[in-house]
Formats: sequence, C-alpha cells, structure tokens
Amino acid sequence: MKVNNRRSVKLKKKTSAVIALCAALVVTLLLGAVAVYGLGTGSNPLIRPWVPRPNAWPESIALGLDLKGGVYVEYEASLSPEQVAGEADFNTLLSSTMDVMGRRLTDKGFAEATVSQIGSAGIRVEIPEVTDPQAVLDLIGTPARLEFYDADGNLFMDGSYVQSASPAYDERMLPCIQLNLTAEGQKLFGDMTSKNIGRTMPIYLDGELLMNPMVESAIYGTVQITGDYTTETASDVALQLQSGALPMELRQDKLDTISATLGQDALSTSVLAAMIGIALVMLIMIIRYRLCGVVASWALVIYVLILFMLIAVVPGIQLTLPGIAGVILGIGMAVDANVIIFERVREEIRAGRPLIHAVRIGFKNAMSAVLDANVTTIIAAIVLLAFGTGSVRGFATTLLLGVITSMISAISVSRFLLTRFARVVHKPSLFISGTAAQDESQKEAN
Amino acid sequence: MKSKNRALICIGISVAVMLVALILTLCGLGINFGLDFAGGLSIQYEMGQPFEQADVEEALRSIGLSEHAVSTVGQEGTTMQARIPSLGDDTEIQQMQSQLETALIETYPNMDVSNATASYVGPIAGRTLVKNAILSVLLAAALMLIYIAFRFDFSSGLAAVIGLLHDVLIMLSFMVILRNVIQMNSSFIAAMLTIVGYSINNTIVIFDRIRENNKKPAYAGLSRVEVVDISVRESLGRTINTTLTTLVTIVTLYVLGVSAIREFSLPIIVGIVAGVYSANLINGYVWAFLEERRGKGKA
Repeated sequence: MKVNNRRSVKLKKKTSAVIALCAALVVTLLLGAVAVYGLGTGSNPLIRPWVPRPNAWPESIALGLDLKGGVYVEYEASLSPEQVAGEADFNTLLSSTMDVMGRRLTDKGFAEATVSQIGSAGIRVEIPEVTDPQAVLDLIGTPARLEFYDADGNLFMDGSYVQSASPAYDERMLPCIQLNLTAEGQKLFGDMTSKNIGRTMPIYLDGELLMNPMVESAIYGTVQITGDYTTETASDVALQLQSGALPMELRQDKLDTISATLGQDALSTSVLAAMIGIALVMLIMIIRYRLCGVVASWALVIYVLILFMLIAVVPGIQLTLPGIAGVILGIGMAVDANVIIFERVREEIRAGRPLIHAVRIGFKNAMSAVLDANVTTIIAAIVLLAFGTGSVRGFATTLLLGVITSMISAISVSRFLLTRFARVVHKPSLFISGTAAQDESQKEAN
Repeated sequence: MKSKNRALICIGISVAVMLVALILTLCGLGINFGLDFAGGLSIQYEMGQPFEQADVEEALRSIGLSEHAVSTVGQEGTTMQARIPSLGDDTEIQQMQSQLETALIETYPNMDVSNATASYVGPIAGRTLVKNAILSVLLAAALMLIYIAFRFDFSSGLAAVIGLLHDVLIMLSFMVILRNVIQMNSSFIAAMLTIVGYSINNTIVIFDRIRENNKKPAYAGLSRVEVVDISVRESLGRTINTTLTTLVTIVTLYVLGVSAIREFSLPIIVGIVAGVYSANLINGYVWAFLEERRGKGKA
C-alpha cells in the first residue's frame, strides 16, 4: 500500500513535469515566432519582429554609421572677439567644443555618433540612424540665446555666463531647468537679485519671454527656472541653453546624408556567422552534457530572444559591426553559467545522489561562482556606462543587457527546465554525460 | 614545488612576450593604428552619375590604399566621400588624386576632377574617448578588487586584478607583434573591454573552488599551492567547455567576417586565450604567494 502510494505521488509529479515542459515549449515557440515574424500585418503591426534573419534585418534594431549611414555635418569653428582679445588657445577650445558635442550626442542616445576634427578649424559630426538632415540641428541643438533683464528692461546678463544647464525638479517636484553659472555670472546674478527684491526679472529665450519671476531673495548659487515644463521639454530647453554655452562660435558648412561604408553583405555574413556560432555552441553543449546540453540550448534560444528584444527596446543602442560581433560573442559566453552549474550537478550525481537532489544541490553549489563572476562583470559595465563616452557607452549598454539576460536565463530558465527533466528522465548517463557508473544504482532506487 | 615552477615559467613567457612588444615599439614598430585612431584624409568627388561604392574601393585598392571607408553622400547618390590614411604633403595628395581619377574615369567618364576636395580629418576615437576608456577600466578594476577582496580575501582581489592587467597587456603586445596582420581601430577598445569583463570570470570560478577547498577538512594538511593545484584540476572541465563555446563563436566570426570584424575578433581570441592561460596557470599561484607572504609578515 505504502509503496503504491509513493509510486502514484511520483507518477503525479512526473505527469505535472511533462505538462510543464510542454507548456514551456509552446511558450518558447510562440515567443520565437513573434520575434521572427512580428504580430499583426500591414504597415503598422502590433509588434514588429526583433530577431535578425540573414537577409532581413529587423527595423526595430538600430544600426551604426558603418552599416546604415546617417547624416554628417561640418562646422567651421571660430573664436569670439572676446576670446581673441583674451588670447584663448584655439586648439584647446576646439577640442573641448568637440568633447561637449560628443557628450551631448551620447546623452541624446547616439552613442555611436562620431565627432572629429576636419582641416585646421573644422568639426565633422556623423550621426547614425538619422535620415533627415534638419533633425541634426535638434540633436546638436540650435544654440539658444538666453537673456536676463531687470525690471526696468536693462539687459544685465546673457547665456554666456551659463556654465551648464540641466533638467531638474524643483521643491514641488515639478520639472524645471537648473542653471549653473560661471563665477562671474553668479556675482552678476547675485548683485542684481539683491538689489531688486520684490521686483520682476524677465528672462527671454531667443527673444521670447520665457518667464517673468518675482525676485524673492538674493540668489548667489545655482538658478532654477520654473515654468510650464514637462520632463521632456525641460530637458530639450536645457539642451538648447547648453548649446548656447558651446565654447566656440560655429558656422554650419555642410549638411547632408551619408551612406553606410560597409555593404549589405557584411551584415548578412554576420547574421550567418551568428547562426553557425549558435548551432556549434548547441552541438558542443549537447555532446558534452547530453540532456543538460539540450536544456542549455533551450535556455540559449530564450537568451537570444530576450536579448534582442531588449536591444530593440532600450534606447541609445546602435549596433555597429563590431557591436554585432560582441553580441554574437556574448552567445558563446552566455552558456558559461550553465557549464558551471552542470559540472556541479555531475559531481553530485557521481557522489550517488538522486537526480532531482543532485540538480538542487548542484545549483546551490554553483550559485556563488555564478553570482561573483557576473557581479564583477556588471561592476565593469556600470563603470563604463557612467564614465565612458561615445562607443564605449554603447558597448557598456549591450554588455550589461547581455550579462543580466544570461544570468536570468541560466539561473531561472535552466533551473525550471532541469528540475522538470530530472523528474521525467531517470537514467543519469542520459541526463548528463560521465555518469554511466551511476545508472545501475539509480535504477534500483527507482 | 613543481607547479610553482610551472607558474614561474608561465610568468616568464608572458613577460617575454610583453618585452618583445616593448622592444618592437621602441624600435618604431609599435601598434599599427588605423583611421579611427590616426585620422587621415577625407576626399570628395562628384561622380556625375550614381556610382557603386565597390568600384571606388577597387580603385583605391589598385593604387595601394587598402585601408579606406567609402560612402555616398546626399540623396542623388552621385557624390562620393572616402576616408583614407594621411599622405605626406600636397604633391603626394595630388599624385594620389590623379592616380585615383585615372582608375575611375573609364567607368565614370562624367566624373568632375576639377572640383575634388581633400582635407585632413582627425581621429574619431579622440583623446577624450581613449582617456575616459582607460580611466573607466582602471576604476572598474579597483572596484572589482574591492568586491573580490570583500567576497574572498584581499590577496584574491589583487591576484585577480593582476591577472586582468596581464590579459590586457598580452592583447596589446599581440597588436604590436601582429602589426602586419592587424590594425588597431576603435573596435579594439570594445575588444579590450570585453576581455576585462569576461576574463575575470575564469579566475573567479577557480578562486571559488579554492575558497571551497580551503574549508574542506580533507585538504587541511595541504599547502596553499597544493590546494590551488587541486582546485584548478577540479575546474578544468568547466574551463575547457566554456572556452570551447566562446572560441567557437568568435572563430566563426573571424573566419566568415569582413576586415572590420577581424579587427575585433582577433584581439578577442588573443585575450580569451591569455585569460584562460593566466587564470589556470598564473593567478592561483600569485594568490598563494601573496597569502604566504602575508602569513610570514604576521608571524
């Protein structure tokens, strides 16, 4: 009786494991189908496909200058009369202007844009994924003219005293623009406000009245401009003000679209290489680990589907050819956590534990190595994201997405599948290689 | 003792590779910087009709300019812009232009040769980008050291970061040694960062074993070097399989890829091999050495 009872519990668990695995298979196939073909038809489908195919790159994944081109602008830089009088160093100012532009483009989500010097006094900017040349002006920012007047209508300060402008929130948590003034600007602003308490102080942006605040107290520190801003408009205006603070005067020289430098074949070859790479990784995993290898391959499919979805959704990623290569390399690396776990599971099976326990303990033993290895990589990615500029920032974003996705797929997806399979399959040598010696003893246990 | 000697020999080999690279660099045979780092010339031609970028690439190759980036400017598809390496002076530029025109005029008879322009372009991977990348890597290494010191011990953190530095230096050394095969462009920065993020994993997995084995009563009587030996051996299955899957993808890319991909994948291959080498043959022993020194200092 008792034995029978235990049998039926085991059978029940086995049945529910089989159902769970079938459900997981259906979910994976559905997700895969949507990823490859999208959902809905016509020009505006519900979900656009996001996984690349050899000769159909999905629109939802932005590409860099090398693969898709974009627009280019060339500026002629010159010194302002004050800078000439102050004997400012032209080359130093030129490179700091280029730095400001590069940073601005990165902040706007164009990490793969390039800024380089052309000729002796020119700056060349190339921006990927933009097709309308006029849109560049919105990105680099049409320099905005900011003017501060006193109540009698005398101009007492302009945007050149603004060191930086950024979107912020005021004490009521409403979006506003925060201005950091230069030392000279702080003095001007402080003196003016201390003399005009209780009077208005109109602020104009490009000749239009931006706001007309009442001076409530002398302000010597940072200045907050409040108004009818949303988070987005605040950041746009801040950007414009910031442009007003570019270190040099720029005259736009050329502006046009520019094509990709690499042909379509470079892209399709990479996708082909990725597919071959994935197939080889799966083959190696299945040969080396048998059923566990199948689980790793399954988790890898889910990893690829989720990673590309994130790349399509997260702003600020344009894949260049090396970027795509990095993603492909990540596929080979993503199974690492699985490998660490499987080796531990095998050790436990060899120690004579039943499969389901071996899986549980194997996971537990592998977790410290998996976590420590991934956390160190995440540390590196976050530092690069915070301090890197341009393509380094773009790289850090994909690296971070890759590590987090692979951790999730290796830990939760693999665990889900592996514990189910451990209930369905009872032969250790089928479950994982190198455990043939345990086949007999496990048979007895069952 | 034997494995300690092996570690010393491995360190010796690595140092020798770095020295060769250093000497080559001092002799003026340093890293071969590509357009992204060195800058070059930007030339522009009105082709008079829609043109094929491949034709221009072919023409540039035929006059000895194998390094180039050709693009089409504007919607009409008749303006060509190309980036090529710097040339000596104006005479050389004119010479190059007339050679290029000769090579192209047959296919594009309407090409406007009188309004061609050529101007110097600076590097895309400018000083700020490179400076920020290096500083970020150093900061990341410092934070990794702190994290590992916290999770393991200080010697582990130091040994892991030394291993990381080793891998990056080996990558740079091979960029010098293979200067005739490969150029350094901005994708090298990405390759370097990939290795920084990845190669530490190998070390961590082995250190994790060492940490575990150090606690086992069965290994209590063993010296640190012996525990390292056992731990490396126990992790070998994982090391081989992971390295295999990673190398398979990157080698596939290298074999199938165009030159832009090779510039990325070759340093990665070098970095991965260097990472496996240092994690298995050097880092554990550096840890044992540091721990023993610390132990002596205390005694």
